[in-house]
Amino acid sequence: MAGDALRAQVTARWQEGFTRLNRAEPGISGLIAYSEAWNIATDFLRPRDISDPSDAPDLATVKAAFDLINRSRRLPVMLETYLDAICNQFHLIIQDIDRYLAEYEQSGDTAVVLQLVFRLVMWYRAWAPIEELGPTIRAAYTLTFQTRLFSILPPAFVRGFKALCASTLVPTAQHAPTMWEAFEVLGMTDRYEGIIASVGYERIEQYVRETCAGKWDTPCLEALRAWMTGQIVPWMLPMYAKGALNTEDARGMLQNVGSRFDFHMNKTLCDLRTSEIFDIIIDFPDSSGALQDLKECLQRVDQRAMLVQALRKANRKRLLHPGADTKLILSQYVATIRCLRIVDPPGVLLFKVADPIRRYLRERPDTIRSIVANLVGDDDSGDSLVDENEPIQPLQQLEIDDYNDPNWDPEPIDAGPDFRTNKPSDVISTLVSIYDSKDLFVKELQVLLAQRLLAITDENFEKVEKERRNIEILKIRFGEAALQVCEVMLKDMTDSKRIDSHVQSQKASILHPTIISRHFWPSLESSDIVMPGQFQALQNEYAKEFSTFKPDKRLRWLSHLGTVHLELQLQDRVVEADVPPLEAAFIELFSEKNIWTMDELIDGVGAVDRPAALRALITWIDLGVIKEDEVNTFRLLEVAEEAAPSSRIASVAVEEPMMSAAQQQLADQMRLYWKFIEGMLTNLGTLPLDRIQTMLRFAPGYDQTIEQLAGFMEAARREGLVVVRDGMWKLNR
Amino acid sequence: MKVTVKYWHPVAQWRWDTGNDNANATDENEDVCGICRVPYEGCCPSCKIPGDDCPLIWGECTHVFHMHCLLKWIGTPASKQQCPMDRRAWGGCSPHPIALPNVPLQ
Repeated sequence: MAGDALRAQVTARWQEGFTRLNRAEPGISGLIAYSEAWNIATDFLRPRDISDPSDAPDLATVKAAFDLINRSRRLPVMLETYLDAICNQFHLIIQDIDRYLAEYEQSGDTAVVLQLVFRLVMWYRAWAPIEELGPTIRAAYTLTFQTRLFSILPPAFVRGFKALCASTLVPTAQHAPTMWEAFEVLGMTDRYEGIIASVGYERIEQYVRETCAGKWDTPCLEALRAWMTGQIVPWMLPMYAKGALNTEDARGMLQNVGSRFDFHMNKTLCDLRTSEIFDIIIDFPDSSGALQDLKECLQRVDQRAMLVQALRKANRKRLLHPGADTKLILSQYVATIRCLRIVDPPGVLLFKVADPIRRYLRERPDTIRSIVANLVGDDDSGDSLVDENEPIQPLQQLEIDDYNDPNWDPEPIDAGPDFRTNKPSDVISTLVSIYDSKDLFVKELQVLLAQRLLAITDENFEKVEKERRNIEILKIRFGEAALQVCEVMLKDMTDSKRIDSHVQSQKASILHPTIISRHFWPSLESSDIVMPGQFQALQNEYAKEFSTFKPDKRLRWLSHLGTVHLELQLQDRVVEADVPPLEAAFIELFSEKNIWTMDELIDGVGAVDRPAALRALITWIDLGVIKEDEVNTFRLLEVAEEAAPSSRIASVAVEEPMMSAAQQQLADQMRLYWKFIEGMLTNLGTLPLDRIQTMLRFAPGYDQTIEQLAGFMEAARREGLVVVRDGMWKLNR
Repeated sequence: MKVTVKYWHPVAQWRWDTGNDNANATDENEDVCGICRVPYEGCCPSCKIPGDDCPLIWGECTHVFHMHCLLKWIGTPASKQQCPMDRRAWGGCSPHPIALPNVPLQ
C-alpha cells in the first residue's frame, strides 16, 4: 500500500531526473535536445566494421552532443552503453582473426601473423573514442578491448606470435620497430612477456648447443657473452628498453632482464657441460677450456649437485664395471681428480664423486698392483698416472685441522659431514689413501721389486741402478724405514755381482747366481726341485767356491727361480732356448733316455706339482723338441717331426692362480692362526664360528673380522681339514 | 741329444753355517738368535743390513748369537761374562769354527 509519503518520494525523484535531463529548458525541449544528442553520440561511438567505408561525422555536432550529455551527467551511462556495444561488435574482429589464422595455419608464414597484428591495431584505432573524451574513457576502452581480445585469441595465435617474435631475431628483420609498436598498442608485450622471453631463451639454448657442444679446448663463455651483446641485446632493446632516451637509460632498463638472460646462458652451458663431463674428463688436459667454463658457470648457477649426480651416474655406467681395466679406472680417477680440482678447488665435488670410485677400487684385487706398477714405471703403455712435473713429496696422512694456521678456511658449506680437506695432497697420496694403510703398498712394492730384480742378469745389470733410483724416489714418498727391505734387496744384487766376479776369477763357471738374503725378500714360493745331472754338479761346484770365499756362509739353491740358456744338439738340428730351471731339468732328463712318463719326470726332479710340470713340458712341445705320444708319455724328437695339432695344450688351461701380495700375506697370517683353531677344536670338540672368533681375539696380533674368519674356515673345509654341521665346526678326523 | 748349458742365472739364499746342519730345515723351525729372537739370517735389532754387516759369533759352548747382541750382553755387569744360554764362561771361537783348518766343509 503505497502511502502518501512514498508517492511524494517518487514524485520528487522523477522531478529531479526530469530537471536533470531537461535542464532549465522550457517544456520538454531540453529532453528532446538531450535525446538527439544521445543518438548522435552513440552513433558516433558505435563500433563499426572497418571494412565498411563510412562518412566522417561532423565533429562539431558530436562534440556539442557529448557536451550536452556531460552536462546532464549521463556520461557514465553513455560509457557503459559504448563498452557494451564494443563487446557486441567483437564478432567482427573474431571473424578477422579466424581468417588470418586459417591462412597462417596453411602457409606457416609469420608475415600473416604480423598482418593480423597490424589489422588488430587498425580495429583498435578505429573503435577508439576521440581524445577529447579524456583519458579515463580511453583507459576504460583500452582495458575492455584488450580483455576482450585476449579472451578470444585462440592458442594458434600464441604459436604464431612466438614464431613471429623468433623471426625478428634475424638481424635483417625490417619490420621489427613497427611490430613492437603494434604489440605495445595492443598490450601484448605485457601480456605475452613470458612467451617473448622464452623465444630469447630458446634462441640462447640453441646457439649454445650449436657452438659449444663438443668444443672443449677453449673457453666458450667469452665468445658467448660477445654474441649476447651483439645479437640478443639489440633484439631486446625495443621491448625491454622502450622509451629509453639514451644508452645509459637503456642499460638501466635492461639490467634486470639482461641478467636473467645471462643466467639462462650460463645455465644452458652448465647443463651442456654437465652432460658431457665424463668425456671432458677423458679428454683432459685437452679439455681445460670446458672446465674453465664450467667453473665460471657453477659460480653463477647452483648446479653443483647436478654435476656430481651426472658424473657419478656416468662413472657407474661407463667406468665402474667389470669390463673396465683397473689401469683405466685409475687413470680416469686421476684425471677426475685433476679436472675437478680446476672446477672446484676446495675439493667438495671431488670428494663426492671420488667416493664411489674409491670404494670400487678397494674391491678390485689388482688395484694395489696397478698403482705400484705405475709407481715404479712398469707400465707398458708408458702412460704414467703421475705427472712428471709434479714434485715428489712425502705421502700425506690425513691431518687434523691445524688451528694455528693463519690461512685456515672453514669447510665449504656444501661439504658433507665426513668431508676431509685434501687440497694440497698429490695424486699418489690420494691413490695410496684409497687403502687404510700404506703397508699394503710397501708389501706389493717389495714383491714387484723382487720380480724385477730376479729377472736381471749380467747383461742388463745396469737396470739395478735404475731400480735404485726408483727406490730412492719412492723413499721420499713412503719414508726411509718402509723401504729398508728394498734397500737390502738392492744391496744383495750388487753383492751378488761382486761375489760372482770373485768366484769367477777363482774358477770360471757358467753359473752367475743372484744370492739373496732370506727374510728380506718377499716369501718366494718354495719348491723342492732337485736339479738333475750336470745342473746339480754345476751348483755344487759353485757352492763350494762360494764357501771358500765366505767361510761362514753356505748357499741354498732356490732351484725353481732364474733362467737357463741352453743349447740342445739333436741329430738334425740345434735348438737354443732361454727357459726356466724346471724346463731345463726336464730336458736334462731326456738326455738320459728318450721316452719318459709324466710320473717318472716328476720323480726325476724331486717334487713338483703336475700343472707346473705340464707347463714346462708344453714349452718343449711348443719348441718341437718333445712330443706327447700317448697321454702322459713323452718322447724326445731327435729328428724333427711335422708339428702335430697340439690338442692337449688347448684343452689344458694352464693358468697360474694370481694372488696379490696382500692375499698371500693374509693367507700366511691365517696359517699361524690355524694352529690356534686346530688346538681349540681338538680340546673342545665342536665350536660355533663366533666362539672361535672370540677365542682367537686372545691370540696376539689377531685382527681379522668374523667374515674373514668365515672365509678362512670355508677354505679349510674345502681342503678337508674341518667339517661344519648346523654352524658348528669340528675337525675332520 | 746333448744338452749344453750356455749360461745359467740361478737364485740362491745364503745361510750362516751355524754348525748344526739343517739344510732341510723348514722356514717355521729355523734357528733364531737366543738373545733377540730374530733369525740368524736377519739382523740384530740395531742393524739394518744383514750378512757381513751383522755377523754371528760362535761360542765355545756351541751357542751362536748375533755378534752385536752378544757384545751388548757381555757389556752388562749382570752377564758376568757368561753365555746367556748355559751360564758357562763365554769363550768365542772366532771367527768361525769351520774356517779353522782341517774342518770339513760339509
